[in-house]
Amino acid sequence: MWTPPPQLQNCSAVSSEDPFLTSFSLPTCLPFASSQSVPLPFPMAHGTTTLAFMFQGGVMAAADTRSSCSGLVACPASQKILPIHSHLVGLTSGTSADCALWKRILARELRLYQLRHGRRLSTSGAAKLLSHMLHPFKGTELCVAATLCGKKMNLSGPRLFYVCSDGTRLRGMLFSVGSGSPYAYSILDQGVHWGLTVDEAKSIAREAVYRATYRDAYSGNCVDMYHITSKGWTRRNREDLKEEYYREKERRKHEKTERRDRVMVESEENWQEYHED
Amino acid sequence: MALEDVCSFKERPVQHKWFSFSSLGDAAIPFPTSDCYNLRYSRLETSENNCGVPLHFFIPPLPHSSSFINRPLSSFCPPKNSMTVQKPFRLAHGTTTLGFIFQGGVIAAADTRASAGGLVACPAVHKITPIHSHLVVTSSGSGADCMLWERILIREIRLYQLRHGHRLSIRATAKLLSSMLHPFKGTEMCVALTLCGWDKSGPKLIYVCSDGARLQGDVFSVGSGSPYAYGVLDRELRWSLSKGEAISLAREAVFRATHRDAYSGNNVDLFHITAQGWSQRKREDLKEEYYRDKEKKGKKKNDKLK
Repeated sequence: MWTPPPQLQNCSAVSSEDPFLTSFSLPTCLPFASSQSVPLPFPMAHGTTTLAFMFQGGVMAAADTRSSCSGLVACPASQKILPIHSHLVGLTSGTSADCALWKRILARELRLYQLRHGRRLSTSGAAKLLSHMLHPFKGTELCVAATLCGKKMNLSGPRLFYVCSDGTRLRGMLFSVGSGSPYAYSILDQGVHWGLTVDEAKSIAREAVYRATYRDAYSGNCVDMYHITSKGWTRRNREDLKEEYYREKERRKHEKTERRDRVMVESEENWQEYHED
Repeated sequence: MALEDVCSFKERPVQHKWFSFSSLGDAAIPFPTSDCYNLRYSRLETSENNCGVPLHFFIPPLPHSSSFINRPLSSFCPPKNSMTVQKPFRLAHGTTTLGFIFQGGVIAAADTRASAGGLVACPAVHKITPIHSHLVVTSSGSGADCMLWERILIREIRLYQLRHGHRLSIRATAKLLSSMLHPFKGTEMCVALTLCGWDKSGPKLIYVCSDGARLQGDVFSVGSGSPYAYGVLDRELRWSLSKGEAISLAREAVFRATHRDAYSGNNVDLFHITAQGWSQRKREDLKEEYYRDKEKKGKKKNDKLK
């Protein structure tokens, strides 16, 4: 079992002495609290686009692959979808270092649970476990927003949970996280419904990530897609969205020439009309 | 007001009854007028080639200028005045407005919710205002500022038309608006307007902002709901859309934005501008659309389950 760090047990002693510090003594006792000593190198922002939705064929999860560090693209080929075990996949957003660490901690805890109890922990159990593990760090600069995609325990059917380091734990049918999420949300709201086929779901997820990378500066490069069913997760090949941009650019260029000709003809007519008045 | 300006009626400073000089105490600098609109001592002198009638720009004294520092605070507070007037809430462009060009003209659409922090101050506001028969402007930012600047723009365009006998082009209108807004850069004025119109050179869409941006483009969406609208617009916008398709695309984009954004909602207004002028579609309540959409998704689910 995951035990809280030993320093936390001393916190109650501190708080009882000082009447003003009732519940705020936690940050100073935490092993990783660093707000006073180490200044942040850059303002943290969830510079990413990740999305996941449930449909009749399971859960479809997609994310871009850009890691940004203020204005710099630190890594154009990072992995934001991390498999935790054969039936659970986590999408990460926030600080990539924190996410990678917490994914490993969660994977370790789930494996230990499985070894001790002989069965896997359910997706909702995993979400609750992660949420409780992140709780002591609430108020610090830890920034993890994970979407857990799995299946129902002992039943067939998908499960989707959103867990955040500020304490949110939500179950839902559709989540998108990150700076590019508004752009993705509108596409997903338009097209996602329960009755989608697997191919339709793939194309909607891809389109949503593409549109987010088109408009958002902090999302881009490639798109990763995972499909989770009751048999486990399958991964689609990483696709570079550059090809898609060029295809679209060609199409728009063609439209532009068509339009220029049309407008020139019309404006001539209008000009004549104007001068006739 | 327009007639007075054309005739240069206000040659002498006007003293309004509700501003008393006694409240000034002993001001070091005598200022000729107390009228906020015609601050004559800072009037632009450059526009005198306009048949001798200058265009009056409302230029407030900027905080760093000496005249402001020495002048005691009066009831006519200049815009940058955080000492006396507390802002009631943090200003944010709580809206969704969009405009795009296609083969059949320009479409301008907006929601109708005016929000003040967390309160829906008015659920039925007009965010799209016609300036003249071929120009419509969508507003975002502070509602009061936008309404004022729309009126100022209408006045200036009309005056130009009367003086010169022809209408100002959309690009020139945008430039005029941008230079009128420039003195207020750095103050709390917050205006983001999209001019959608048709002039001699065809359909035009220009975004003008109180920060100083002036951008011409094919598709713009402004406000807190704009990312949601952009997702939908980028996906389906084509030059070759028919009028019906373009209208339904604009409607869909505003609907998706109002669905996800808390500060946009209520109804959708739609204007279509062509070479013949603008036409307005009847204001539509998006509540109905939400229920229709929900039903459609439920129906699809049932169909698949069968």
